[in-house]
Amino acid sequence: MIRVLFFSLLLFESLFGYSYDDLLLRAQSAIYPKIVVLDKKVSSKLVDDKILFTVVYCKEDHESALFVKQYIQNKYKDGVGKYPISVDLVEFSQLSKETGASALYVLYGSKNDIKKAAEIARQKRVISFSYNLENLKYGLLFAAVIEKTTTLYLNKEYKNIKSIELADFLLQSVKFIDKSAF
Amino acid sequence: MSKEKFQSLSFKIMISIIITFFIIMTGIFLSLKKINKEAFYNIELQKAQLIVKTIEPLIAINIYLGLEGKLHSLLDQVMQNKDILGVKITQNGNTLYEVDFDKKDEILFVLKKDILQPGSQKKMATIELQYANHNYMQLLNNYNKLLIAMLVVLGIIFVMLSLYIERMLKPLREVTRLLQDFSPQKKLDIKPMGQKNEISLILSALGEMQEKVFEFANQQKNLNEFLEEQVNEKTQELRRQLYIDDLTKLPNRKKLFDDIQNSKDDGALLILNIDDFKEINDFYGQSAGDYILIEFAKKLNHLIEEEKNISLSRLSGDEFALLFKSKPSYRTFMRVVNDLTRKIEKTVFEYDQSEIFIRVTFGGTMESNEMLEKADIALKLAKEQKKYFLMYDEKLDIKGAYRENMEWVKKLKSAIKEDRIVPFFQPIFDTHTSKAVSYECLIRLIDTDGSVVSPFKFLNIALKSKIYPQLTRIMIEKSCQYFQNRDTTFSINLSINDIIDKEMVLFIQKSINKYGVSKKMVFEILETEGIDNYEEVSSFIMSMKQIGCKTSIDDFGSGYSNYEHILKLDVDYIKIDGSLIKNIDKDENVQIIVETIVSFAKKLNLMTVAEFVYNQTVFEKVKSLNIDRMQGFYLAEPEREIQED
Repeated sequence: MIRVLFFSLLLFESLFGYSYDDLLLRAQSAIYPKIVVLDKKVSSKLVDDKILFTVVYCKEDHESALFVKQYIQNKYKDGVGKYPISVDLVEFSQLSKETGASALYVLYGSKNDIKKAAEIARQKRVISFSYNLENLKYGLLFAAVIEKTTTLYLNKEYKNIKSIELADFLLQSVKFIDKSAF
Repeated sequence: MSKEKFQSLSFKIMISIIITFFIIMTGIFLSLKKINKEAFYNIELQKAQLIVKTIEPLIAINIYLGLEGKLHSLLDQVMQNKDILGVKITQNGNTLYEVDFDKKDEILFVLKKDILQPGSQKKMATIELQYANHNYMQLLNNYNKLLIAMLVVLGIIFVMLSLYIERMLKPLREVTRLLQDFSPQKKLDIKPMGQKNEISLILSALGEMQEKVFEFANQQKNLNEFLEEQVNEKTQELRRQLYIDDLTKLPNRKKLFDDIQNSKDDGALLILNIDDFKEINDFYGQSAGDYILIEFAKKLNHLIEEEKNISLSRLSGDEFALLFKSKPSYRTFMRVVNDLTRKIEKTVFEYDQSEIFIRVTFGGTMESNEMLEKADIALKLAKEQKKYFLMYDEKLDIKGAYRENMEWVKKLKSAIKEDRIVPFFQPIFDTHTSKAVSYECLIRLIDTDGSVVSPFKFLNIALKSKIYPQLTRIMIEKSCQYFQNRDTTFSINLSINDIIDKEMVLFIQKSINKYGVSKKMVFEILETEGIDNYEEVSSFIMSMKQIGCKTSIDDFGSGYSNYEHILKLDVDYIKIDGSLIKNIDKDENVQIIVETIVSFAKKLNLMTVAEFVYNQTVFEKVKSLNIDRMQGFYLAEPEREIQED
């Protein structure tokens, strides 16, 4: 009975997509672009002189991805810092090494999709943000979580990534998290 | 504390050290306090800045990322720091976080800093941090305690240093105290110091110096004793010389003065003078004179040998004094005088085979005050009166006369000095025309009260005191000047002494030339004195005649009336003596004398002048005797100014 219920839920999910917390989605949409420019090597990661903020999502979560896109474009229509910003939406299936991106914002996805996104981000040497904290265990770097306060988590894997060099004060402000924590 | 203590070197050094200490310490204290206060403040400021610098990026990232909760959490953590009293974060006028501290007096400073956007210089917000003064005050307190402790220690060091200097200088003070009692005769106990320093060197040098001074003082003492002895001997010698007459070896005049002074108004004095001693000197020579004086002194000494009350001294040249130490009776006094007179007259002094007799004159006084003066007066009077002895007597009023004479001398000198000797002019009238044809210039002294003094009061004194020539000069000068521009003759009286005085004659000639009065001048030569120096007088009259002056024999007929004078001297006028004229109306003999004089004058073509015409009878008589000119109070008195028609 329980198994039936579990499967039903999975089916439901696959049919209607994941559910997103609007507040968290807004918060992350607000925070993540700003973190991109805190990468000291961001200038080498621009696409057409812009920060290309690529949102990776499941097909079913298109609405949520679109919400993110619109939110970011609205919030940062003058750019982030000195850089103009554009937002691309890419499904997990479409994501490849050739996908242009200055940073990846990875929404809910399967374990494999998440791992794939994390791997592509590593290959492209860009920062990867996760909607879900747990997905950090698959290699994504950042996740913002609303707890008592909004908390930024940074995957300890970051220390092995030479291509990303975050500002010190950012590092002082984040909580590092390890795979073992999950 | 005594004044010496304040002036002592050690006190000054100590005071200098203390003052220096206070100045330096105050300087150090204030400087360090200021420096450290700033330093402590800066430390706290740096600490606060460090905090702000530390939290600022975190705040910035939280604001940047909009992590307000995180921001609050962070700032709450910051507020855990007890040094931070308050924090305020403002963004675009909105306060993002604020914890304000109300105890403002505990706030050391408020640090304000802009929070910049991460990755750019764009201002995002402002942080204001109220920093507590706890640490700062703590530091200051600790520092003050440390500084005070240091000052106390330094103070103690300086006090100890002062005491050390005081102790070092102590030997100098002790030596100074010792030196205050220093005298060349007394050795001081200057103890040497154990240490070898400048003070010990000074003490050592003082010790050596003391030895030398002591030695020198001893030598000096011996020398002084020797010199004192010499001086005493010399003093005795000088005293002897001072009181003893070199020639006769008798006590001298000074000794007599001293004895009289010490006589306490007692005693009597007898002065004796060898008569005509000058002649002995002139005749037998100076050596004979000295011999006589020596022998006479011996004789006198011998004669009064038994008179214990009498001391003999030599007053001067040929004058000796016999001082009675206590007043003798008149009889004793006279006995001494008579004995001495008799015995001296019998004494024969033999010199160079010549026998010399001498006589003496005595002057004495039995009055014990001013005895020397009185005895001297008596002696002079005795000489004048040719007596062998005269006792001073107040009735003689000799002293009074002397005093008056002296006063007149003073008066005369004063009058000369103050130009109060003036000529008065008495007109001489022609008997036939009764007109004033000449003026006799008569001397007058104007007294200090303006009264006119006649010459009979002072002329004799002037003669004795040798002031007379000065008076003659004044009369000549003033008379010549007066008649310089007057068309009349005038006569001036001259004494024989004036005429034989070459300087006076020269002065007369110069005055005549100076005022051009040679044709107007008549010299009246006093006949009463007797003219012995005919040649000189004649020469004078001749020389005066040559320049146009005329001469007259004054007071003719009074004394040595000598017609030969008139013949020899070639005079122009004969002025008949007033003593004859004034009796001419009463005494027939006088009339005969006057007639003889007039007759004689007429024969020689000399003009006659009668003086002392004092009344109508005399006037008429003079006229009747055919005297050419006359003068007198009846006709006109002498006046300061002549009456010119």
